Amino acid sequence: MSALDRPPPGSVAGWFAPVRPEARVAVLRTVLYVFVLVDVHAIIRSPIPLSRHPELYRPLDLAVLLHLPPPSLPLTWTLYAVLVLGCVAGLSGRAPRLVGWVVAAAFTWWVAIAFSYGKVDHDHLALVVALWVLPTVGAVPGGWSSARWSSQAGWALKCVQIGVVSTYFLSAVVKTKNAGWDPTTWPESYILLWAVVRRPHGLGQLLQPYPGVLHAMQWFSMVAEVCSVVVLWLRGRALLVAALFWLGFHVFTVTVLYIHFAPTVVCWLAFAPLERLAPWWRARHPRLEPPVPVPERAVVRTR
Amino acid sequence: MTSAEPDVVDVRPVSRSGLVWRVLAAVALVVLLVHGSASTRVTDAAWPLGPMSQYAFFPGPDDTVVITRVYALLADGERVELPLRVDTAGIRRADVEARIPVIEDDPSLLRAVSEGWSSRHPTEPRPVEVYLVQDRTHLHRGRVVTVDQVELARWRVTP
Repeated sequence: MSALDRPPPGSVAGWFAPVRPEARVAVLRTVLYVFVLVDVHAIIRSPIPLSRHPELYRPLDLAVLLHLPPPSLPLTWTLYAVLVLGCVAGLSGRAPRLVGWVVAAAFTWWVAIAFSYGKVDHDHLALVVALWVLPTVGAVPGGWSSARWSSQAGWALKCVQIGVVSTYFLSAVVKTKNAGWDPTTWPESYILLWAVVRRPHGLGQLLQPYPGVLHAMQWFSMVAEVCSVVVLWLRGRALLVAALFWLGFHVFTVTVLYIHFAPTVVCWLAFAPLERLAPWWRARHPRLEPPVPVPERAVVRTR
Repeated sequence: MTSAEPDVVDVRPVSRSGLVWRVLAAVALVVLLVHGSASTRVTDAAWPLGPMSQYAFFPGPDDTVVITRVYALLADGERVELPLRVDTAGIRRADVEARIPVIEDDPSLLRAVSEGWSSRHPTEPRPVEVYLVQDRTHLHRGRVVTVDQVELARWRVTP
């Protein structure tokens, strides 16, 4: 099979697999392996305690399809160990495909277990996609400082970006679908009031007496989610503005509802020019030059 | 924000087959994700390819908002709440809420909360009875009017 440098510009392949810096993949891998370590300790913490209660377990389709054994303490502790060791190995950069897919499989299983006791969250989609696709890039010579670009890197980053945008856009699709495809039902409902009553901790309490403001926020949220798909075509300053908008959106949901989407937020880095980090760091921390040789005449001779 | 594709850089070649499978995989990902959210037949059990259904429902202006709680009568006679969080009871509130019908049918399932709380509070007296209750906040024309509480299940703790 012949090799190409890059897919033709403007083609479908060029959109799905644009040539992008491999250094961005290297940085993103590092960040995500650190994030997974945080995630299993601070966000998805329930698999081990829940595995004590098989009577509450209802397997997801994934577990049924793959004939995965039901959770048990030995299984969940093993998964935990694999995740911790796998992330540490991933941070070392060795065997990126093997280690990456082991972490991806273990984390997918870990999260699936957490979601098999009743509640399914949707903030982990982009992260799970990222863990599966980033290893396909393989070794990145030079790591964070790599000067190489590739379609392999561009494809992996594009898949993560699709995962991020899908989290918002498809949320709007489901809200509309559940209303019999009437896009006005959800924004005109009392869902934010419901959420504020259920989570009486954040700043949302201040908004509870103002249903008109809550409705305006719901309309704003719906429009933003529908428009989110445009982000996949933005570049430069427009993309920066869009990213900052969505980060602000998440800060807002945290302060009002105590709902964070941290696993999605961290994947926004797939849009960021992370490849500039290493040059930026080197420019501010130049290597020390070798000491200036002392002129011979300055050497004090001693007898 | 995204770097423009440069004209002259060190570009790693990609084979045609490598390009083809990548494009097909990405298209499949998009199709599966859209199907998961647009189809009326796909449920949350299809995660990670299921519908993005968090908060995708429509409470009305006169609905009742419920908050599920578990209380316990301890061996020393004190009644305390067993907060439904992983770090305090080993289980999330949302997981208990999703199992309310089966807990009402079989209140001994509250053992998960009772044991989860006891194992994290070894110095506290053990619960002798646990209660599944709901705080009900009643809305009228989009405003909170009254709040009450209803008991859904009760289980006498057995060793």
